[in-house]
Amino acid sequence: MIPAVALVLGVVLGLALEPTVPAALQPYLPIAVVAALDAVFGAIRAQLDGIFDDRVFVVSFVSNVLVAALVVFLGDQLGVGGQLSTGVVVVLGIRIFSNAAAIRRRVFHA
Amino acid sequence: MSLLVDIMTNTLDESYAERARSRSSAGPVEPADRTPVARPWRRSLLPVVVLVALGMLTGTAVKQVRAREAEGTGLRADLAQQVRDRTAASDELAQRAQDLRDEVSVVQEQALGNDALGKRLAGQLTSLGLASGTLAVRGPGIVVTLDDAPDPGTADGARPGNALDGRVQDRDLQAVVNGLWAAGAEAIAVNGQRLTALTAIRGAGEAVLVGLRPLSPPYVVQAIGDAKELEVEFLDGRGGRRLITNMSVYRLPFTVERGDRLSLPGAAAPDLPAAVPRGTNANVPSADEEGSP
Repeated sequence: MIPAVALVLGVVLGLALEPTVPAALQPYLPIAVVAALDAVFGAIRAQLDGIFDDRVFVVSFVSNVLVAALVVFLGDQLGVGGQLSTGVVVVLGIRIFSNAAAIRRRVFHA
Repeated sequence: MSLLVDIMTNTLDESYAERARSRSSAGPVEPADRTPVARPWRRSLLPVVVLVALGMLTGTAVKQVRAREAEGTGLRADLAQQVRDRTAASDELAQRAQDLRDEVSVVQEQALGNDALGKRLAGQLTSLGLASGTLAVRGPGIVVTLDDAPDPGTADGARPGNALDGRVQDRDLQAVVNGLWAAGAEAIAVNGQRLTALTAIRGAGEAVLVGLRPLSPPYVVQAIGDAKELEVEFLDGRGGRRLITNMSVYRLPFTVERGDRLSLPGAAAPDLPAAVPRGTNANVPSADEEGSP
């Protein structure tokens, strides 16, 4: 409950406050969001498995975001930024979906 | 393949399991299950802060994408509006010019209708106006209508990457007009633009300009002349053949119809600042200088 509220609160804050993102970082924002989503789904699954750990969650969240942004940044420098972001989105997407499936199995037993 | 399999099967971060193992081995007092009560408040607050951060990240990204889109469409809409405004203004001015020309011809008729000399001049003006295309005319003739292919990009003969295939081009319109002149047309107008000896038909980008005015399809070419003869001669000539080729290769539809009473507007009298009749002095005073006292 509290996490959901926190998430919604964050979205509202982001939309309302319009924090200015440096132009250099702007291309990495969407990929960072996808990476962070992966960490969140992993955390929910761990919670349902009974092995959730807040420190692991925070560290995996931050490192996911940083690594995803770094990979895309590197790709941009090498001229394959678009392809690399596609790769990152595909891999993280697969993980998000299989975690979501695991969560669904656990919650609905189906 | 092992990398992909790994991605598909090991979806949960290893460290969760590791931490759980180390916790249960270090202190079995707190079993690794759902007992957040034992945690200090600071540790349970951290994930919440992280989630707020994720929300803000998402919100900002969404806002940013929307702002960028709005920027692009706003600019385009602005330009489109400007084009519409200018076109409307130019239409208005053209209409006004036409009205004034009509007025001038009425006044001219009145002024010249009094004596024999005036009548002769009026007759001369009329025949000159007919020949030069500045006089609005009506009579029987044919109407040739050309249009772009229903789906310009995928016409049969279209070469990939050529957006002009499947569209009526300036050359097509030129061929039609020349074909009509050759078939004996006495007066021609394209989409209401009367053609004179100085009217150019040319392409600018994807638009076709007739007398510097951009026209959009369908192109309606009205030609006054002997309707039957015009139709036969035109379809038999190069213009007609070109239309038939365009129809079969590029799927450009066209129609040719006879009309009993076509009505063509007059064209604006062209400005000829340099040309003077041969045999007269080059610095002959112009008409309005003559008229001033």
